[in-house]
Amino acid sequence: MAPMEVDRADGRTSNQLRPLSCTRNVLHRAHGSARWSQGDTIVLAAVFGPKAGTKKEENPEKASIEVIWKPKTGLIGKVEKEYEMILKRTLQSVCLLTIHPNTTTSVIVQVVGDDGALLPCAINASCAALADAGIPLKYLAVAICCGLTGSRSVILDPTKIEEKKILAFAYLVFPNSPISVLPKGSLTEDSEPIEAGIITSVTHGAMPVVDYFNCLDRGYAACAKISEFLRRSMESQAPSDLTKTT
Amino acid sequence: MNSMPSDSASMSFVDRVVVPGDHVLDLTGMANQTIKLGAGLRQDGDAISVMKAGKLRISKPNKYWVESSHKRYVPCVEDTVLGIVVDSKFDNFLVDIKAPMLGLLPVLAFEGGTRRNIPKFEIGTLLYVRVVKANNTMNPELSCMDETGKAAEFGPLKDGYMFETSTGLARMLLSSPPCPILEALGKSLSYEIAIGLNGRVWVNAASPSTVILVSNAIMNSEFLSAAQQKIMVEKLMKRLQ
Repeated sequence: MAPMEVDRADGRTSNQLRPLSCTRNVLHRAHGSARWSQGDTIVLAAVFGPKAGTKKEENPEKASIEVIWKPKTGLIGKVEKEYEMILKRTLQSVCLLTIHPNTTTSVIVQVVGDDGALLPCAINASCAALADAGIPLKYLAVAICCGLTGSRSVILDPTKIEEKKILAFAYLVFPNSPISVLPKGSLTEDSEPIEAGIITSVTHGAMPVVDYFNCLDRGYAACAKISEFLRRSMESQAPSDLTKTT
Repeated sequence: MNSMPSDSASMSFVDRVVVPGDHVLDLTGMANQTIKLGAGLRQDGDAISVMKAGKLRISKPNKYWVESSHKRYVPCVEDTVLGIVVDSKFDNFLVDIKAPMLGLLPVLAFEGGTRRNIPKFEIGTLLYVRVVKANNTMNPELSCMDETGKAAEFGPLKDGYMFETSTGLARMLLSSPPCPILEALGKSLSYEIAIGLNGRVWVNAASPSTVILVSNAIMNSEFLSAAQQKIMVEKLMKRLQ
């Protein structure tokens, strides 16, 4: 069954993402920082740490991650607290917490522009900032927003106007695709390859189960592309080889 | 399991930029070999995977590490670093070395140190110290003596100016043969410099303008090639005259 082509306001196809851009080390004082933009949704993430000491309710045998979400305008309310909690849980599963026990890493997320798919953009920016700061990570997290339109077709990376019109949407976070010397599928966990795992899934609205799995497949394929973009951006910003002399 | 293809495949990742999550070495074919892992790599079951983004390096025959440059420092034994005194306790000074934990400098870790002649360091004193013990769970232990017990240039640094850089620039400045920027500056100016592997650099010279010139030249030289560094120093010298 051929997927139904949807007319999107900015002329994209249903599988097309907005232009991505990632710059790392933008903030002078932060230990790691990244600015990630998807179209007009722009997020600036800063990482400080690891610093000694944990809060009272955190486990001192592991590193703890603290997330502060700063909206573009207005006071901090319940929506921001929810974003902080989702971001904290996602980053906790991405970071290696046992490497530096009894330390705190602070991630501050500042929303510069909001045009739909804000949380995936923030997750991508935070991961790039953590990699820039040198925090030990298991893998990088790559996030995407999949929306389900009224005609039961899946659109990727909706803008704010599209988000208002669609039935339901899901924010999906997958691990990045690694380059590997191992034969494919050799790292398995319960007979599923690790690369096809999912880190976080946040849904809004109601959608049938079949459509949710459809979203997962499309999202996973698109995340492979974002993962490729992230790898290229890290390669191009790597410092030049300092040991070579001309 | 054929070990040869995975060996040649891992060779192809060396000197390439790797990101966290990449599996760079397959251990299933290497049953009786010892491999030494440096910064940024960890063992994940039957594979070695990357924790930090950077360039994968190898030192034959069996040392692998990821070379990367950050603003924070991970303490390693035998590194020389610049620390700032934060507090003094009964038997330790607490010293900040830009690491996840504060360093501890025992009050007796000085040449000829006894309980009667403990040095009095104010908060904020800059010290050139050596890392003696470092592991992830404990505070790193520092010392102002070398292995034989001599003072050997360790201790407080007076006057001068200290600035912070990334760990990658500090490693470049400490490389041998000497870094082009330091050589070029040394040909026309006379200055004293102390470089800490934790990304702190201390410069001292007779006049403040020399100190400023040397500090700015070093900060600007991080991403320049050797030839570009020499050209930059020549231009600075011309402007001085």
